[in-house]
Amino acid sequence: MTRILRLTLNGRARADAVADNLLLIDYLRDAARLTSVKQGCDGGECGACLVLVDGSPRPACITLAAQCEGAKVETLEGLSGPGGALSPLQRAFHERLGAQCGFCTPGMVVSATALLRKTKRPDEGAIRAALEGNLCRCTGYVKIIDAVQTAAAEMAADQTAEAAG
Amino acid sequence: MNAPARTATRAAGTRTPLVDGIEKVTGRARFTADLAGDAAVARILRSPVAHGVIRRIDTTAAEALPGVLAVVTGADCAHPFGVLPIAMNEYPMARDRVRYRGEPVAAVAAVDAATAARALKAIELQIDPLPAYFTATEARAPDAVLLHDDKPGNVEREVHHVFGDPDAGLAEADLVRTATFTCAEINHAQMEPHAAVAEWVPGREELIFHSVTQVPFYTHKHLARCLEMDPAKIRLVKPFVGGGFGSRTETLNFEIIAGLLARRTGGRVALVLSREETLISHRGRPETEVTLALGMRADGRLTACKAEVVMRGGAYAGYGIVTILYAGALLHGLYDLPNIRYDGYRVYANLPPCGAMRGHGTVDVRHAFETLVDRMAHELDLDPFTVRRANLLEAPLFTPNGLMVNSYGLPDCLDRVEAASGWKERRGKLGPGRGLGMACSHYVSGAAKPVHWTGEPHAVVALRLDFDGAVTALTGAPEIGQGSSTMVAISVADTLGIDVGRVRVVCGDSATVPKDNGAYSSRITFMVGNAAIGAARNLRTELAQAAAAKLEADPADIDCAGEVFSVRGSAQSQLTWAEVVAAALAVDGPITVKGSFTTPEKAQGGGHRGGAVGSTMGFSYAAQVVEATVDVDLGRITVDRVWVALDCGFAINPLAVEGQIEGSVWMGMGQALMEETRYAEGLPLHASLLEYRVPTIADSPPIEVHIVESVDPLGPFGAKEAGEGALSGFPPALAAAVADAIGLDMDALPLSPDRVLEALVAKRRAAQRAKRREDA
Amino acid sequence: MTEALADFTLHRPESLESLAILRRAVPEARLIAGGTDLLPNLRRGLVDAPALIDLTALPDFAEIEPLAQGALRLGAGLRLADLARAPELAGPRQAVAEAARGVAGPAHRNAATLGGNLCQDTRCLYYNQSDWWRAANGYCLKYRGDTCHVAPQGKRCRAAFASDLAAPLIALGAEVALAGPVGERRLPLADLYRDDGADHLALAPGEVLIAVHLPPFAGLSAYEKARQRRAIDFPIAGVGAALARVTGGWRLSLAVTGTDSRPVAIAGIDDALDLPLSDDMLARIDKAVQKQVTPMRSTMISSHYRRLAASALARRLAQRLAEQARDAR
Repeated sequence: MTRILRLTLNGRARADAVADNLLLIDYLRDAARLTSVKQGCDGGECGACLVLVDGSPRPACITLAAQCEGAKVETLEGLSGPGGALSPLQRAFHERLGAQCGFCTPGMVVSATALLRKTKRPDEGAIRAALEGNLCRCTGYVKIIDAVQTAAAEMAADQTAEAAG
Repeated sequence: MNAPARTATRAAGTRTPLVDGIEKVTGRARFTADLAGDAAVARILRSPVAHGVIRRIDTTAAEALPGVLAVVTGADCAHPFGVLPIAMNEYPMARDRVRYRGEPVAAVAAVDAATAARALKAIELQIDPLPAYFTATEARAPDAVLLHDDKPGNVEREVHHVFGDPDAGLAEADLVRTATFTCAEINHAQMEPHAAVAEWVPGREELIFHSVTQVPFYTHKHLARCLEMDPAKIRLVKPFVGGGFGSRTETLNFEIIAGLLARRTGGRVALVLSREETLISHRGRPETEVTLALGMRADGRLTACKAEVVMRGGAYAGYGIVTILYAGALLHGLYDLPNIRYDGYRVYANLPPCGAMRGHGTVDVRHAFETLVDRMAHELDLDPFTVRRANLLEAPLFTPNGLMVNSYGLPDCLDRVEAASGWKERRGKLGPGRGLGMACSHYVSGAAKPVHWTGEPHAVVALRLDFDGAVTALTGAPEIGQGSSTMVAISVADTLGIDVGRVRVVCGDSATVPKDNGAYSSRITFMVGNAAIGAARNLRTELAQAAAAKLEADPADIDCAGEVFSVRGSAQSQLTWAEVVAAALAVDGPITVKGSFTTPEKAQGGGHRGGAVGSTMGFSYAAQVVEATVDVDLGRITVDRVWVALDCGFAINPLAVEGQIEGSVWMGMGQALMEETRYAEGLPLHASLLEYRVPTIADSPPIEVHIVESVDPLGPFGAKEAGEGALSGFPPALAAAVADAIGLDMDALPLSPDRVLEALVAKRRAAQRAKRREDA
Repeated sequence: MTEALADFTLHRPESLESLAILRRAVPEARLIAGGTDLLPNLRRGLVDAPALIDLTALPDFAEIEPLAQGALRLGAGLRLADLARAPELAGPRQAVAEAARGVAGPAHRNAATLGGNLCQDTRCLYYNQSDWWRAANGYCLKYRGDTCHVAPQGKRCRAAFASDLAAPLIALGAEVALAGPVGERRLPLADLYRDDGADHLALAPGEVLIAVHLPPFAGLSAYEKARQRRAIDFPIAGVGAALARVTGGWRLSLAVTGTDSRPVAIAGIDDALDLPLSDDMLARIDKAVQKQVTPMRSTMISSHYRRLAASALARRLAQRLAEQARDAR
């Protein structure tokens, strides 16, 4: 069966005809051309396809597009700041070498974004817990943890500055 | 001294984020599968049988299905391919005979995935089974059917190398120990599954080919060969690549298949493999059995080594000959050990072909060596550091097997990790179940002889300078996440005295870049770095002439730093970059220069058969200490912390060097703790990322990196490799930590909970038996 | 484009009545909530269903409801992430939160539900593979074949049930509420399961698990699982333990998941205990677990290891809870 799927994708309302058996990952990559959503495994094992659904990370490769009716969906493409500026997390992943080959990076940044929206200054344990479903094969995770810590510190400093100003 | 001083204005030696990093963190990076667009969907039909003769492939019904655009089989390509010109025995799709479960036998292109899947089911395939062999022992049995008729005993290559007098060496020793180590087969499990997008351009009869390859040049060659095309009619593009670690260091069957299907459809096809298929494509580290005898004097001095290595290589040659040669060659070059005997056997079996994987050839042998050294040190009541220090080399030298060692930072590496880990103060005092272990390792900085010998330089970099003032570096060196493009940018910028941001690196499109052998054997920094410096020097010469003309000075006196040209010793005469570029272009228009690198003859190894493998311009050296805790109830090991020091000669980009060291240590941890393939009659039980276990962040320790800079005389800025050398030290350091923690010696990898627990149970039983004997 | 899923129609009923109508109309329909168990199986061609019924719009489906005397009703649609941080599960019943926290990774826990976790399919190395793989292996007793590759001589499927939550919930005496064509019924959770990997759920046709009821409980509980990695992996042996304050002492309940085709409630250890636990008692626990669990070669890790790990965990948890109980007195 085909239906009209209405959702908010990276801040913009969309309506698309989708088959009931269409996976969210295929909808995002093929229909919406959001190719940051990566297929790294054969279903739910690696975390490269994570997107935010109503603010929470979800594996797009084992989610049906039709289940996202009315939802607010965000992919890595939608996480940059105004004017395409790098978010603190994106900048930290870049500057601290949290991304080597970059294939797991979309999922990593999505998981870390959800964490930092909820927890302003997560300790290392909280960062590890938030990223435990995201596999990376390049970094040994050392610089990924560093990147999240760096971004969190920068965001906290910005907020302090704002509050003071 | 070729290493630059670290100053604020020098690019080399400065922590530099990757020049292609922004795309990765914003989602703009396009990997091969991202380029599929509306391409036809291709799928591969794979053999369900491990070994057999193909009696019939009937594709009529598949071809008749609406929406099916093309079907190809082994009959469509009669040319074998393979990494070594002397060992090409693999076809993109099996012809006549299949040799492993999962080997491609046919492929389809269709309008969508569902149609392609239906088409695969519609192909009739009849295979008469032959006896199949899944272990090296079975395959080597006297009555075993041969996988390849020209390889008696199913042995792809035997190697017997003797240097010095190993028997006399063992006779001199105070302690001789022999042990056999079994290391499981592992896979690269790079995060990006294999993919190729191929486009046939009708009318021009050209092929535009995108792939995940680490070796675009080899793939270009093999596409031309297998498709019987003029290489000039092929454009090979390497988009962003999601890791390699050796999995894409040779042309792979799916790449040729994608090319065949594109031509047959006359359009674009996307062949994106599943994770299962990617694991079946394999080319990983083979299951290896190492039997090792070492002689040691009471003071820790090693006297001799005898090693017998058997590798189960899978069904086709791949890199097998190189792997079995590396395993023996790299017994040399780490320690001063003149007496070495090596016997290696690379064996065919009915399993997916093995290949090159990070630390190619050396990892399992180094594990055995270091582990046995640790045990012998314990037996002789010597500190493991003392034993290593008793066996150090003194560079420069040539090893007994002819390997050139010009720089040797291992002593510093030992000092650094010994101090950082608190080895002297903490070892033996960590409490029950906790221990410290250490090990050393090394790796080549580029194979001094490429597998495809052409006589050309090993690396060429071209630079273009035009009106916009940007310096465009053209390199065939495939950036696959390791940071090679950033290394090129830094090398060029530093040599010219300009900002890294002014250098634009173009890599991986055969239409524009000079040929490069590829991303393997840790060759890029050493070879391409030197070529980049050479090219930049040539550009500097042209710019200096232009500047000198304007400043009325001798070109030899012109300096450029911070994008400002000046006459040495004069504060007044200065020109901006733009002014000098304008002046230089006015001479003869836009400038194109190149630089190249060729390995010196003396670096190319000994004259014995196979002596080129292992030869290199310089070795990286590493020492590491691992702290681990063992839960004896569950047999579970926790890696608490790692201290690692690596001599990379000079860190052109310390940020990337750290990343490479961390990643390689961690990959060694995966092999040491949990990674292994397993087959049920040749079917991969590990065919997913749930069953092929890559460590999660929750399993991964902090890794403290110390960079040691021995400044190699031939390296670019003194640099050597950084991405492989530390890997092979991790498994033995962990085994030593486990021995230190609970007194348990393990002879198998990985040190998985079941193996640890079973060894503990066996040890307890043995102790009980011994006690009963004593009581009796 | 990933491998196309077989065609199906997705329904999303908003009441138990319309659910019942749907189930009568499309009896072969499969239920889906978070999809983290069903969709990987759909992708591998392990599910043949013309329709899926999405349960997430049912009323009161994702509520935690305190009942009289400290009993608790957990809606089957509760996400595992919610269970992991529910204050109602922070005290004596923390084993449930611990189990929820240990499932897969955070993104899965945001999607996966309590009901889905308890009704998840059994798992086996010879089953959770692609269609090509299974076809090459002649399929298996669980699906489309007639041999169990794990125990070829046996008559039944030996796939293992790997729900983390089942173990602590059984140890805590949970019952499940099942809504069916003839109304609602309650069943001890342990009785929801059958010892057959190919048919492990004792649900009547048309029945849906809609809630879990936890009886009043005074005491301590814990859950721990053995697995090769500290995240993502299913339990190769998971043990839920509850130490209840009873008249005259304490009573220990243990349940093991991941080893058998159903969770195993460990029998023969339910006499009243004195604290601290004696070495004899610990040895009895050890022996009881080793005897009652029957892991087979359905995982990469050996069945022998799973048995040893289950008993080691049971012993350790019992000892830990006993120590905590003693300290708390």
